[in-house]
Amino acid sequence: MKNNKSILTILLWSTGIIFLLPIYWLVISSFKSDAEITQFPPTYWPKEFVWSNYPQIWDLLNFGQTMINSIIVSITTTVLIVVFSTMAGYAFSKKQFLGKNILFVALIGTMTVPPTVLLLPLYFIISKMGMYDSLTGLILPFSVTVFGIFFTKQYIDDVPTELLEAARIDGCGELRIFFQMVVPLIKPAITTLAIIMFVQNWNSFTMPLVLLQSEDKFTIPLRLAMLAQQNVAVPWSHILAANVISLLPVVILFLSLQRQFISGIMSGSVKG
Amino acid sequence: MRKIRSSLGDLSSYIFILPTIIVLGLFLVYPILWSFLASFKDVNPILLKNSSLFEVPGTFAGLDQYMQAIDNPLFFKSIFNTLYFGVIFIPITMFASAGLAILVNQKLKGVNFVRSVLFIPYIISVVSASLIFMFLFNGDRGLVNALLQNFGVTGPNWLSSTLWAMPVIAIMHCWEKIGYFMLIYLAGLQNIPKELYEAADVDGVTTFQKFRLITWPLLGRVSLVVSILLIIDALNIFQEIIIMTGGGPADSTITVPFLIYNEAFKYFRIGPAAAMSYLLFVFVIVITFVQKRIVDKRLG
Repeated sequence: MKNNKSILTILLWSTGIIFLLPIYWLVISSFKSDAEITQFPPTYWPKEFVWSNYPQIWDLLNFGQTMINSIIVSITTTVLIVVFSTMAGYAFSKKQFLGKNILFVALIGTMTVPPTVLLLPLYFIISKMGMYDSLTGLILPFSVTVFGIFFTKQYIDDVPTELLEAARIDGCGELRIFFQMVVPLIKPAITTLAIIMFVQNWNSFTMPLVLLQSEDKFTIPLRLAMLAQQNVAVPWSHILAANVISLLPVVILFLSLQRQFISGIMSGSVKG
Repeated sequence: MRKIRSSLGDLSSYIFILPTIIVLGLFLVYPILWSFLASFKDVNPILLKNSSLFEVPGTFAGLDQYMQAIDNPLFFKSIFNTLYFGVIFIPITMFASAGLAILVNQKLKGVNFVRSVLFIPYIISVVSASLIFMFLFNGDRGLVNALLQNFGVTGPNWLSSTLWAMPVIAIMHCWEKIGYFMLIYLAGLQNIPKELYEAADVDGVTTFQKFRLITWPLLGRVSLVVSILLIIDALNIFQEIIIMTGGGPADSTITVPFLIYNEAFKYFRIGPAAAMSYLLFVFVIVITFVQKRIVDKRLG
């Protein structure tokens, strides 16, 4: 029994190491000099840490602007998704309205639609509305998600209806009931949804690729992908440094809030 | 009057669903319809440029666009490539995530740490992951070839090889997704009532039998759901291709969604692109439906 356990522990740890290896390789290589990084066989630890890779690529790519674009898009979209999806989740959970059931089934149906079906019409519709090559075009059209509605609905289902009725009898307005009772009661779920949506938007690549044209509007994933296409001009050490910068925010966010993150993904998968 | 009032329900609810109706109506439902209509019309970029927002221009073309989509010599090639991807990605991800879920569910040293590590590839962007793997599998100075060299093997130039490019992309996708699917299995495992195992202990059941009688059937049920998610995931493989290979070398990594993207945004063949995307859509619906029937039969 004791032996069994140590075999399993070794198995667990070696899997962990294999999974971490690519990340390790990324990080240490981003500190190597150009000469060292092209060396074969490679060194497993930098001979000398070249910190200047970071400021150099930052300046070269105008990464400050890119970072700001990504922050604007991710945060605004996340806030809108959370507000709008929670509102809809509340209506689906606690209210009666015309066509509610049909609408709900239709929403479930849309979840099987392959993203490529939407790509071209979205490009067309967003352009026709004058939002091509603008950050607004990456925010407004994606400010409600079906996942967000289902996710918040599950939690609002658990809020006792009597509680809301009592408030209504006391003369509370509808918006006040929503913002001052429902929202505080499901705050943990809302935080989880916000984290998941932020990460998703931070990483979003396809829509920016299709909808953005001017470099000063690029978001981080798009900028990084462009970098890979022209990797003759930019040395690998710099590309990797840019990559480390790009994934740092989500990794830090995940590591500091991982309990919520993981429980959110798990509850979404079980109930949904 | 009262009847109308009551069928409308709670009037305040319309305020709450208004943003959803507008956004999802314009940017989800309308695009789905738009693609459908475009797949039966001979749309071209010039007509599109002059059309209004709520109009799909072009004359009705029957099934022409569908015929063109199937006639494209790359169409069957892309199906084959997607299949090749799926054959590698699906079984590996399924077995690895089920196995890891069992492992992570034990009381072992460092379980929480390893669980976080497994999840990191899932939260970083596809672009980040692709760049990492392009570097790892670099022909001249990649880590993988350096490690192979230790065993006296000279590795190929992975992403420039028609044989190896797709497996590398598939392995990378496994790395990205295993953490997520492990969590789904883990959620299933943690839903097993502890009393079941305790009762088994009282009856003197061996560890192996407990696994066979309690854990295994559950894993089977979860696997049914996971398999459909994996198939759909494999059918949508697209971003990695754009970043890592652009469909090459010699079209060996052109997948169905990548072909649709290329048709639409590179060659501006809008009708055939829409038709192809609908063929994919129908295929996904059929698979989902068949799988649901199987699940209902097994569980019902």
